Amino acid sequence: MLRFENVGMRYGSGPEVLREVTFTLDPGSFTFLTGASGAGKTTLLRLMIMANPPTSGLITLFGHALATASRSAFPALRRRIGVVFQDFRLLDHLSAFDNVALPLRLAGRRPAAYAHDVEELLGWVGLGDRLHSRPHTLSGGEQQRVAIARAVVGRPDLLVADEPTGNVDAEIGQRLIRLFGELNRLGTTVLIATHDRSLIERGRAREMRLVDGRLVELRAAKP
Amino acid sequence: MTRVKRGRILPREAGAAPLEVVIGVMAFLAALALGGSLLADRAAQGWRAGLSGKLTVQVLPPEQGFPEPALTNETDAALRVLRATGGIVRAEALSQGETETLVEPWLGAGAVVADLPLPRLIDVTLLPGSRIDLAALRRMLHRAAPDSLLDDHSRWIVRLKTLADALVWSAYGILGLIALATASAVAFATRAGLQAHQEIVALLHQMGAQSGFVARAFERHYLVSALGAGAVGSAFAAALFVAAGGLEFAGIEPVAFLPPLTLHPAELAWLIAVPLGAGAIAWATARLSVLAALRRIY
Repeated sequence: MLRFENVGMRYGSGPEVLREVTFTLDPGSFTFLTGASGAGKTTLLRLMIMANPPTSGLITLFGHALATASRSAFPALRRRIGVVFQDFRLLDHLSAFDNVALPLRLAGRRPAAYAHDVEELLGWVGLGDRLHSRPHTLSGGEQQRVAIARAVVGRPDLLVADEPTGNVDAEIGQRLIRLFGELNRLGTTVLIATHDRSLIERGRAREMRLVDGRLVELRAAKP
Repeated sequence: MTRVKRGRILPREAGAAPLEVVIGVMAFLAALALGGSLLADRAAQGWRAGLSGKLTVQVLPPEQGFPEPALTNETDAALRVLRATGGIVRAEALSQGETETLVEPWLGAGAVVADLPLPRLIDVTLLPGSRIDLAALRRMLHRAAPDSLLDDHSRWIVRLKTLADALVWSAYGILGLIALATASAVAFATRAGLQAHQEIVALLHQMGAQSGFVARAFERHYLVSALGAGAVGSAFAAALFVAAGGLEFAGIEPVAFLPPLTLHPAELAWLIAVPLGAGAIAWATARLSVLAALRRIY
């Protein structure tokens, strides 16, 4: 599914943010990524979602070595990844419905074909009555749920979430984690970057920790 | 299911009005230049048609003796030669009054003109498409009327053609410059728009949008803006031409000595090309700018 081999990353001539990072995410796996602030989590996530190329090393995604893959193949690879950004990155001029529908629209699906799915998903994350609300009228937690719904609506092969429960209460957080678990059971590979230890301890998932740009395997997935 | 209508990928730009004003003004100027080139072309054709089928024979008054009988004799002789020449359908001498009317704009009316030794003018109309041996005709006229001069207007036709061509090509040059300025303004605005919507473009790119999808969102926006603004500018220019036609219809000559400034309906229809051209420039510039910007993103 995803393989990093001796990946290093630095921005411009700055210090190396990631050093010789090597790991594999197997298809259908569920992984937590932890680390102190500034350890390089966001940079690692950006490399995983193809937002930046690495400075060194090899990344293989869905069987494609990104260093040698054709750029024309990138959009299709990116559409197989669902991303929950820490800052949500919702489009303010679009309603919650249109924000969530965006990946389906990019995939070429017609509104009539996806409207029911989008409404159902927004209902599932507790926003069934806010379909037509613009993001700026939603609370931080509601915006986060819209962002999560947008990331999962296309049933991506890989879901990458950066602090997805950071702005929601415990009950909603549990509900969202159940949503990720459900998606994972359906075959999606999930990686969640989080500081929430309770979230990690409750699960049986594998944990990888970043320390000063190096990856440390803390815990393999429990059977 | 509550709705199936999709929201716009790009928000409506609050700052787009200045660009639309620029495109509108450019379209107005382009429509004026286009209309001007059509008028110049039509005028040149009229001038050529008016002169090319005509000859003028001047019979000059003799410097000595009694001018009036000699002039009349020579004019009659010239008329006989002309009417006997193949390819000439009409040869008529202008009366003294008609000749005085011709010089009146320069010399004024009254006794001064009547006292001047004016030449007799013979207006000659040729059979359309006929080829006359002007050198032979000139020789025969000289024999019959030694003080006659044959003018085939070729000097004027060449000058008028040069003038009309210069006007038409100047109008095309102005059109080209306006198109260049419009393309530059749209390219500048598109880049500014890209900058303003950088986060949206980056997000769409990150979510796997094809470059063409993002470009379409921009090009549609600028196409609609340019079409609308171009239509308004072109409509103003068309109104100006129609108003000029109205003045001429009312007997008021907007610019003396120039051909009519009225565009015919078929010529007015050409002004539709201006907003279409502005839209095409905006569309192409926006598309190329967006695709170039996207190529720079990983």
